[in-house]
Amino acid sequence: MSGIYWIASYPKSGNTWVRMVLRSLEQGGAPVRFDDDNAPWWDPSHRSRIGGISSSRFFFEDVLDIESSDLTEDEIETLRSAAILAWAESAGKPPIVKTHDAWLSSRGTPLFPPESTKGAVVIVRDPRDVAVSFANHSGISIDAAIARMADPDCRLARTSKKMGSQLAQWLPTWSGHVAGWLDAPVRRLLMRYEDMKADTPGVMAKIAAFLEFDTTSETVNKAVDAARFDRLQAEEVRSGFRERPAVSSRFFRRGVAGGWRDTLSRQQAERIEADHGAMMRRLGYETTT
Amino acid sequence: MNYYALCGLKVASVLPLPDLVSWAGDGRQADLSIRLDEVPELENPHTSRPLLQIADDGTCRFEMKAVAAYRVDPEGREIVIAPHMPADAPDIRVFLFGTVFAIVCFRRGLLPLHASVVRIGDKAVAFSGVSGAGKSTLAAMFLKRGYSILADDVAVTEVRDGTVMVQPAFPRLKLWRDAMDGLAFETEGLERARAQLEKFHMPVEAFAGEPLPLASVYYLEEAVDPRHEEMRTLLGIDAFRYMKTAVYRSKLGYNLLGSGPLFAMAGRVVGGVRSVILRRIRTLARAEEIVDLIARHETAG
Repeated sequence: MSGIYWIASYPKSGNTWVRMVLRSLEQGGAPVRFDDDNAPWWDPSHRSRIGGISSSRFFFEDVLDIESSDLTEDEIETLRSAAILAWAESAGKPPIVKTHDAWLSSRGTPLFPPESTKGAVVIVRDPRDVAVSFANHSGISIDAAIARMADPDCRLARTSKKMGSQLAQWLPTWSGHVAGWLDAPVRRLLMRYEDMKADTPGVMAKIAAFLEFDTTSETVNKAVDAARFDRLQAEEVRSGFRERPAVSSRFFRRGVAGGWRDTLSRQQAERIEADHGAMMRRLGYETTT
Repeated sequence: MNYYALCGLKVASVLPLPDLVSWAGDGRQADLSIRLDEVPELENPHTSRPLLQIADDGTCRFEMKAVAAYRVDPEGREIVIAPHMPADAPDIRVFLFGTVFAIVCFRRGLLPLHASVVRIGDKAVAFSGVSGAGKSTLAAMFLKRGYSILADDVAVTEVRDGTVMVQPAFPRLKLWRDAMDGLAFETEGLERARAQLEKFHMPVEAFAGEPLPLASVYYLEEAVDPRHEEMRTLLGIDAFRYMKTAVYRSKLGYNLLGSGPLFAMAGRVVGGVRSVILRRIRTLARAEEIVDLIARHETAG
């Protein structure tokens, strides 16, 4: 088994950006296209190492030979590990898969069997910026986003009636989510969104090396340029982006670090710091209180 | 013993299958028999997937924990079920009519499509799409407008003398509560597909019980933006690419038949029908408009 590399993060933390740079990097710095995949990413005929999201409903159904809409939430949670393990056994060159799942499932067992995991790039972002972006992405108020980030038992893409392209993902608090991945017994590379912004080529080169890309700094520079935020925005206008939720007008919205300063009220910032101060300090985010 | 008709097959089952219509045809031997017995794991399977084992001789075993284990013989003539819950529980039929029946189809050279099918005029029209795309809901909208249905969720196709035929499955729709509420169908007293799911088995009176030629397959896709809504006929390789996605449990078909025979079957079907992509914003409020649009498109040929 070659094992899977996870790009793990809480939602709205830069996960997709990293994936887009890697896609370009894999093709020697070529322009990023959202609609150029013919074979599904879990299929052996998919040439790229870079896959979609771990919570894909169609990945689950294909690997398990079953309709997810016939299953209960408990059955799905149990079977997701089985699907990941079975796929890891058959996958070729170590695939790279995005995930917003917590390391542990809601019942406290690892969702990702450690033996199927080769490593994890863990991406974190200042939770004050996450709150603003998460609110926009989910079509909820900033206060509601802050409340979700403090809710130890939240579900992402949970729906009892309408089936989306993703399975429900258990989402603990923002701090709990980060802590779970930082404590996971796997090889790991921790990266901050803010550092990616400040020195994109430097950080992306480290990520590429961790993920066993054989590349040069020149190609990394080209890939970083190809996945520039304004280019991703333009590509979203051109072809749409399938992970954009219906409630949000754009997936690639702003892409800045520290934007919370002109968006959050003082009370909102303080609430996030009260909820997540310990983890923020552990990651080197300055708190105002 | 109970005798039923299912997609053109005569089924003899010790397990009552209330979803199916009773066999009204000739006294021939059953095409498919269903019985209850132990279903131990296969020894040295040729293929082992998380829920499915395939033996060298082609025998398949599928197991859903806490529901049932199922075994299908290599010719798709017999299903043995080992229930892990009361044998009359609907859960057992959910997987029987899903993955297990798909195995039977592939083994018998029938191509199962992930589609719901209605009758428009003297033709069958199929709505395909991923789980949640709105196949059953669209079929229910047609039902509401006086049309009859041939199949829900899984539709069995067969090419006869160059004509693609759809076999009638059974008179039942599987619908989520929000679709039933939105279309003003009563959920009271209906069986749930699974005890924990808000998904109901709704018996249907308007059932087209005879095979019909398949005129069109509509591929349902969700538009997130009104600008991306469209209805467009697919041609050539595009139509074939969509048909491959419409094969019910295509990965299973690939594992049982290999890609050559599977895609040859899909190719014969796609060659005999019109393929249409229907991308729209999901909304029950536009049921009338969508039914009219498709009915007009079909009667205009």
